Amino acid sequence: MPSSAEIFNNFKEHSVAEFFKKNRQMLGLFGKVRSLTTIIHEFATNSIDACEEAHILPEIEIKIIELGSEYYEVHVVDNGPGIPEDKIGKALGKLLAGTKFHRLIQTRGQQGIGASGCILFSQMTTGQPVKIISGTGQGKPTYLELTIDTAKNEPKIYSKKVIDTDFKGVAIKAQYKDVVYKDGPQGPFEYIRRLAIANPHVTLKFQEPNGKTTVFERAIKQMPKTPLEIRPHIKSATVDEFLQNAKSSGNKIVTAFMKECYDRVGEKVVDDLADEIKDFKLKELTIRQMDWQSAEKIVKAIQKVKTIAPRTDALIPIEEEYLKKSIVNVLKPESLSVVTRRPTVYHGGYPFQIECAIAYGGDAGRTLKTDEESQKLEIMRFANRAPLLFDAGSCALTKAVQSIDWKRYNIKDLDNIALTIVVNISSVHIPYTSAGKQAVAEEEEIVDEIRQALMQAARNISVHISRKHQLQTKMEKQKVFYRYGEEIADALGFLTGTKKEDINAKLEKIITNKLSIEDLEEKMKAEKKKAGIEDENKEEKKEKITEKNLTTFFKNSNGDKNDE
Amino acid sequence: MVTKMTNNTNSNKTTERLEKMGKEIVDLINKNEEPFYDLPVRSLSNVYFDKKSKTIKMGDKTSRREFLNIGHARKFMQTVAIAAEIKKIKKENATISIRDLYYALKHTIKGTKENMFEEQSESDPLIEDIEASLNLLREELSLTASTKGVIAGNMVVKDGKDVIDLARMGSGGWGVPSNVEPEVVEIKDMHAEYVLVIEKDAVWKRFNEDRFWDKNKCIIITGKGQAARAERRLIQRLNKEYNLPVYALMDADPWGFYIYSVIKQGSISLSYSEEKLATPDTKYLGLTISDVDKFKIPNEVTIKLDMQDLKRIKEMKEYPWFKKKEWQEELHLMKERNYKLELEALNRKRIRFITEEYVPRKIQTKDFLP
Repeated sequence: MPSSAEIFNNFKEHSVAEFFKKNRQMLGLFGKVRSLTTIIHEFATNSIDACEEAHILPEIEIKIIELGSEYYEVHVVDNGPGIPEDKIGKALGKLLAGTKFHRLIQTRGQQGIGASGCILFSQMTTGQPVKIISGTGQGKPTYLELTIDTAKNEPKIYSKKVIDTDFKGVAIKAQYKDVVYKDGPQGPFEYIRRLAIANPHVTLKFQEPNGKTTVFERAIKQMPKTPLEIRPHIKSATVDEFLQNAKSSGNKIVTAFMKECYDRVGEKVVDDLADEIKDFKLKELTIRQMDWQSAEKIVKAIQKVKTIAPRTDALIPIEEEYLKKSIVNVLKPESLSVVTRRPTVYHGGYPFQIECAIAYGGDAGRTLKTDEESQKLEIMRFANRAPLLFDAGSCALTKAVQSIDWKRYNIKDLDNIALTIVVNISSVHIPYTSAGKQAVAEEEEIVDEIRQALMQAARNISVHISRKHQLQTKMEKQKVFYRYGEEIADALGFLTGTKKEDINAKLEKIITNKLSIEDLEEKMKAEKKKAGIEDENKEEKKEKITEKNLTTFFKNSNGDKNDE
Repeated sequence: MVTKMTNNTNSNKTTERLEKMGKEIVDLINKNEEPFYDLPVRSLSNVYFDKKSKTIKMGDKTSRREFLNIGHARKFMQTVAIAAEIKKIKKENATISIRDLYYALKHTIKGTKENMFEEQSESDPLIEDIEASLNLLREELSLTASTKGVIAGNMVVKDGKDVIDLARMGSGGWGVPSNVEPEVVEIKDMHAEYVLVIEKDAVWKRFNEDRFWDKNKCIIITGKGQAARAERRLIQRLNKEYNLPVYALMDADPWGFYIYSVIKQGSISLSYSEEKLATPDTKYLGLTISDVDKFKIPNEVTIKLDMQDLKRIKEMKEYPWFKKKEWQEELHLMKERNYKLELEALNRKRIRFITEEYVPRKIQTKDFLP
């Protein structure tokens, strides 16, 4: 029988990197299709966040090349600020080293493990280092190859050198095995398309493995507001977090800590809270004295005290006008209705805001590869502008959509209609259902807000759909009348000796007047204009995306390596 | 089926009315107005019993058929097409059957998957519409319906160039032609004293085989069920031109009574031309329910009424032309006894009971229903 000492000899401390290596599903890196989409997501959002922090309008090029069966190479190139040479390893080769961890700030990625997780994944499946070029605009860009030492969670850098070219931004080339590229609602293309819709200020260029390139030009040139970092609202506090934050705050008195570290804590709140707590004198309680039991009592008492609602100015929605523009840009719909709700709060302490759009016709909806005629409903879910492609069934956003009585809005068969429903939730704290971060939890306030927004948007769309039905009916009638009219003109011509062509021409005029199709078309056009959809004089002066041609860089670098 | 027509004045009247109908529609079109035409309503709601002529007549209710009403458009087109086709037939001096007309116009409408007519049942009522709205007889439109009636008796007719002795028609009788207007069928010689209208072909054959018409100096005719226009028109001519009494011999059931009423007063759907078709002098000879007692017909040959019969009895009791006391009583009796009776039931007595006893005795005693 082994002694306890022997057993504990085998007891090793695992590094974070090693933990994630064994639990990659937590990063969304599971499933052959899903993994590749997650990789694109992590790199792309990383790039967009970097650009925005540097106030640069993002321009991201993504390329997926098929190297063999279930073997791909991914290129991601951005025009961001780049990473200083000495920080590249730390920024990309160390997990949980991001700049965003433990902050209450609205960004797309939140874990700080995204890009480095994907670098780890490349190394795990191919044994190859990831190739990186970074240019900061100061001096020439740096080329290096990177792996992560999983035991130490430390970056390892090879072949570092300076490249003699002008480039600002970050370019990454990584290879992956055990992944599969697929079209469809959960594939990388769909991800990029949706990313473009929620981020109208971003230009995205995507090359599929079959060589087909699609460019989603930015629809607007305005940068989104810079996200504000806010203190958590006092009502969102949990016992563990409250205790932890108190210990690390440097304050002596609990109430002082609360006023400093939490939002909406003033004298009145402290007074009310002190009245609520009978077991001890809150105002005299020091942090040193506070144990789990007293912290628990404070947190419980907070829920009974009236506080001002949390501030909502830290939320950055896509904004109605911009969302409209990007949907018109990407979906070219026949009819569009965008609704932005006012910010509100869920669970007492977390501010959030809902934006919804319903687009009908044009490229809206999903077309099946097997049957291009039939069009299907498409629900695009976004959390802080990042597309949610997976776990749709368990997501509050999907459930809110399904809870609406669509028949009231002239939508008889929701699943089989050329409709794209966009729902974006903005919040400093999105209540995901799991670590995969693909489904939003069913918070009552959130579902209710989405329903309100959808119903408002649906009302507008229903007018269009009803007009369209009317128009279709009229067109069908017109066709029947025209056909019958020719027969009638023939017969009347023979009966009366009048020229049948004359009769027919006059009949057609009478038919057109009767059906007043033009009036209806005029009305629909006016609506389109009102909705901000104008098909005419679409500016063709698309600014050309600057061809960085990094493939050449990589070729060069590869060549260099081969020479060694 | 194309035969020559000779009457030109008739032809001109018809063509003029068809052209006028066309012109009225074209005038609307020229004024940029939605085309329509008005036509008389051919349903129970627009007929009345004319006490003077003792026939069913059409009222003056009209309905408007509008081209730009999606529910009317197809009928509008079809009617105009039929009108044009009839003008064409007239121009060619031909007569065609209503089935010929249906086929002449049946074609796929350009740019659609529809035919001008899918079935003859679509074109037939529209022909009646044109007859009613232009106040023209079917014969005047140079159209004929298929006929099925047969006739035999002491009479000689001239059909076109052929002289036909109806006493020498053998076991089958003479088939009544579709046009029996005087221009076509001329009655040359008449030795009959009355006309016996028999509902069923099988019963008619019994009378013909027994040479009933010879022994009783009469004419026997059957429409093989509901009598068509030609048979009815011929009966009317015999009654009007030669003053022959007309007796009807039908099954004692609601359908038999109804066939009788059509011969006597006319039908609802052809109410517009009943003055030329109905024979108000017609008397109902039999069979009646009261005959069961009178002639001691055994009960087991009666048939129980079904739901349909009861429904018809209720409806017929309300028709003005069945309001006479005798008919109300007969209908009441039928309902009360809850049975009906076919002519063949008399065979239960003996095969020739109907020709040798029943009909002669009825005529002798003038035992009729009005």
